Amino acid sequence: MNESPSTESQDVTESNAPATQAKPLIIEEPGSERTFRVGVGSRLYFMLFGAVVLMGGATVLAYYSFNETLRHEIRLSEYSMPNLINSVDVARKSAIVVNGAFRLVSVSSKDEHTAVVEATAREIASLENIILELEARSAFGEQTRLIRSHLEELGTHLDVIKQSSARRLDIARALTVFIEELGETSRRVERLLVQAIDDQAFYLVSGLRELDDKARPINKRASEDELTAYRNLITVNQSANLAVLLLDEVLVLADRQFLTPLEERFDSAVRNFMHAYANLPDSMQDDRLEENLTRLGEIGEGPEGVLVLRQEALLRLEQEQDTLTKARTTSEALVSEVNNLVAQINEEAIQSSAAARAAAQTGILLLILLNVSGTVGAFVLGSLFVRRYLVRRLVGLASTMREMASGDLEVPVQVEGHDIVKPVKGSAHYLTRNMKYLIWNDEVTDMARALEVFRRYAYEVQRLNLVEKLAKELDAKNENLEQALENLKAAQEQVIAEQKLASLGQLTAGVAHEIKNPLNFVSNFANVSIELADEIEELMKQDENLDLEEIKSILDEMRTSLGKIKEHGNRADNIVRSMLEHSRSKEGEWRKTNLNALLKQYVDLSYHALRAEDNSFNAEMKENLDQNMEEITVVPQDICRVFLNLVTNAFQAMNEKLKKVGGDYLPELTISSRLLEDHVEFCIRDNGPGIPDEVRDKIFEPFVTTKEPGKGTGLGLSLTTDILLRHGGSIHVDTEVGNFTEMRVLLPLEPPAEAHSSTGIETE
Amino acid sequence: MMIRMILLLVVVMVMPWAPAWAEADQQTIVFGQSAALTGPARELGIGMRLGLLAAFSEVNREGGVHDYRLRLESLDDRYEPEAAIANTLALIEQHKVFALIGAVGTPTSKSAEPIATEAGVPYIAPFTGAEFLRDAKQRPNVVNVRASYYQETEEMVVRLHDDLGIDRISIFYQNDSFGQAGLNGLRRAVNRHGLNLIEEVYYTRNTEAVKIALLDLRRANAEAVVIVGAYKPAATMIRWARRLNFNPYFINISFIGSKALAKALGPDGTGVYVTQVVPFPRDTTLPIVSQYQEALKAIDAHSKPSFVSLEGYLAGRIAIEGLKLAGPAATRESFLQALIQAGDIDLGGFHLRYGVDDNQGSDRVYLTRIDRRGRFQPVDKMSAP
Repeated sequence: MNESPSTESQDVTESNAPATQAKPLIIEEPGSERTFRVGVGSRLYFMLFGAVVLMGGATVLAYYSFNETLRHEIRLSEYSMPNLINSVDVARKSAIVVNGAFRLVSVSSKDEHTAVVEATAREIASLENIILELEARSAFGEQTRLIRSHLEELGTHLDVIKQSSARRLDIARALTVFIEELGETSRRVERLLVQAIDDQAFYLVSGLRELDDKARPINKRASEDELTAYRNLITVNQSANLAVLLLDEVLVLADRQFLTPLEERFDSAVRNFMHAYANLPDSMQDDRLEENLTRLGEIGEGPEGVLVLRQEALLRLEQEQDTLTKARTTSEALVSEVNNLVAQINEEAIQSSAAARAAAQTGILLLILLNVSGTVGAFVLGSLFVRRYLVRRLVGLASTMREMASGDLEVPVQVEGHDIVKPVKGSAHYLTRNMKYLIWNDEVTDMARALEVFRRYAYEVQRLNLVEKLAKELDAKNENLEQALENLKAAQEQVIAEQKLASLGQLTAGVAHEIKNPLNFVSNFANVSIELADEIEELMKQDENLDLEEIKSILDEMRTSLGKIKEHGNRADNIVRSMLEHSRSKEGEWRKTNLNALLKQYVDLSYHALRAEDNSFNAEMKENLDQNMEEITVVPQDICRVFLNLVTNAFQAMNEKLKKVGGDYLPELTISSRLLEDHVEFCIRDNGPGIPDEVRDKIFEPFVTTKEPGKGTGLGLSLTTDILLRHGGSIHVDTEVGNFTEMRVLLPLEPPAEAHSSTGIETE
Repeated sequence: MMIRMILLLVVVMVMPWAPAWAEADQQTIVFGQSAALTGPARELGIGMRLGLLAAFSEVNREGGVHDYRLRLESLDDRYEPEAAIANTLALIEQHKVFALIGAVGTPTSKSAEPIATEAGVPYIAPFTGAEFLRDAKQRPNVVNVRASYYQETEEMVVRLHDDLGIDRISIFYQNDSFGQAGLNGLRRAVNRHGLNLIEEVYYTRNTEAVKIALLDLRRANAEAVVIVGAYKPAATMIRWARRLNFNPYFINISFIGSKALAKALGPDGTGVYVTQVVPFPRDTTLPIVSQYQEALKAIDAHSKPSFVSLEGYLAGRIAIEGLKLAGPAATRESFLQALIQAGDIDLGGFHLRYGVDDNQGSDRVYLTRIDRRGRFQPVDKMSAP
């Protein structure tokens, strides 16, 4: 913690007072390529340097504390601990040595004895070494001297016991051998004596010794000699048994005092059976029996016999017990001294250990402090440089890149500090700006900037791509539109054909009315002619007074009447021919046409057609036709459709108004024409309801109609416009809601160029 | 140790059927025998072993029991209790025997049997009639074949009393646990007939100091002498009796070792009775005896039928029978249980039956007598010479 802030403070100092530095941190030459800045590398190096400084501090501290601990440890391990261990060793080994003495007294086998002796000797030797070591090392002179003297004394006692017990073991082993031999010997003696006594007793009774023998008479077999022999056999048997029993007793005897009486009794028993055996007749003296009897005596009384050995063993045991008592006293003193030594050395070790622990604790405390400060420092560094100024920005950049990758190029890249210009010396907030510049101006900012540039390019590219894509889509749509248009054209043609049929229907009533008038005349005059003919016939029946004059006058009247018939027939014929002229003339043919007449004709036709439909309708017609009107080259079939449409619309509108308003309203249609410089103008004006503004702009579009459903196709004015455009003309509307509507048609005097090549829009 | 090793080696070498169980992949059930193969009682141990081997190799030739081969591991105890203990431990712990079989002698059995009982190892057909082995509650693992000494002595008294009308019965016994068992049995038997033994004499084991005892018997004027002892002192005693023209009925208990006795007696043996606990080994009217003779011939063409080897054969047969009854996965417990639940077991005319409180298979006691030519003859009744 001490090191890292100092680094930072140095840093701060530099940046805080650049003006006073010979070399300012930030070289702010406008346009200069060389700019001083703290890059990511530098920041990481700063951090690493901080970490290294922390580590260095930790190392120094650790070195100090370990060194302290080690110093005490060394004291503990090189001096106190060995002393302690040695003293404990002394105590332990002393105990082993003392214990060895006890064990020696009670060991039961030679092997065990050897093992104990060796172990004890080993312990004494190592004990002496340890004491020498202790003496050489420390100032326990008094204790060690005492211990050594006790040890020497103990060693002397041990030697005594060792030698004595070794001898005792030898004796015990010899006795074991004797016990076995005694058993065998006594069994052999018994078997031999039982057999001999059995034989002798049987002989005394039966006089027979062998199966083949002849029986001896009573005086022979029961002689004094034989009886004495039998008695001696019994004595040998009894005394031998007694001797065995006495030896058994000697072998288990624990008290040395009782040995002497047993010895005497044994001696007496042995003398008894030896004496009795010696008195047996030669025939009964058996080598095996004698040998075993002698052996029995030797086992007991021999120079190395049971009695002697047992005596020595018991004596030695007593002496050993005495020595053991002395050894115990010595060993108690020894143990006491050793305990003193252990206590002293232990005290010393505890002190050393405490010092070592204190040093270790100090070290641990320092290390913990360093660790905490290091952690905090690392956190601050990490938070400041890495998280705040690096990671967060990188994460932001990464996120922006991801967004860009996913196609979202519209959001500009967040470039921290992009607005931070290099500060100019002496400017306001120079220091603050300088800091900001320092902080933000690094590779990440560069990356952000570069990314922003890239984003812009990419955005452009994306947009261009979009335009291209739209163009392609437009093409596709155009194709669709063309297709639709063609479909539309086909539909239009269909509609036009239907329109033609419709207008034909509209006109039928008008035509019928036109024809009906002359036909009425024809009919009337025909009737007149028939009456006249009947008059003539009447006159001719009066043969006598045949009045030729009368007939001649009647015939004149008749001629006049027939002339009328002819006139009106011609008139009807003219009407029909005129109709046919329009309808039968070659399709789409451009012809010079009297448009005034055409207009008038279609006004009549339309009026009568409407009247045929609704005879309540009346309208006043006004004409203001330019009499100088020239014949214009048009497609009469098309133009007549134009006039019919416009006039029919006018009549229908007025009829509607009439229906709505009624009363005083008098429909009035005015047609006029003017010859202009290079145009002709036809106006059809009605005093109908007019066209509302919201509809007015749309009336020339197809399928727009104000009429009731079923009454109009909505194509009339649209077709009208088409036709007029084809003729190089135009149509204009002037209207006032509730007052009037005036349609003005302009046609050029000279037909357009195509008039000669094109056949018009209509095809069958 | 060395001696035992050599003995073991000898035992292994004389096994005539060794190749049979040498088949490595065949599973083997091992039976262990501790018996006197040397020393004064060796005739008994060797005879038992011969009979056991005859039975085992017979069944092994037939494919074994449930595909198991049987094998006999015999160790010599020289009729010494200490050796019997060591052998029994070795057989159970080192040889992992399934059961102990064919032990010989009362004192040896008395030492060895508690070890087997503690280990739960079946103790099959000991060659002794001692009563303590018949205590099924304390010794559920003991499987006796033969009738007890009590039954033998009972039969003796019945025969003496019923056939001959003899009341003056005495005993000549070995002064140890065996002799004591016989003495107890005989006392009980005569008491049951309202009698008392007129004389009880003994001799010291391993001696032939029998003559004072003989004098006592003669002085008691015994009409019948029941002998519970070894063949040698018994023969000595009988021969001295003959020498003294003292001719009571001599009746020996089965343990005597009939063959050896007849041989030791020679011409003096005529008319000496021995009670037996197995059928007469030459009586081929019994299927078991002819099977025994064939089995014996198969392993040793020169051996002659004897009571001891027949008893060994019967011991082997009852062991086989138990394994057969216990099924392929026999355990020691299931083996013992199978015998207890088997009811009457007919081994070719020799019937055995065990029960929950009965661990002795046969109660039959057979009477035999040595004829003038020194050969044993089966007799139903006693008769005057």
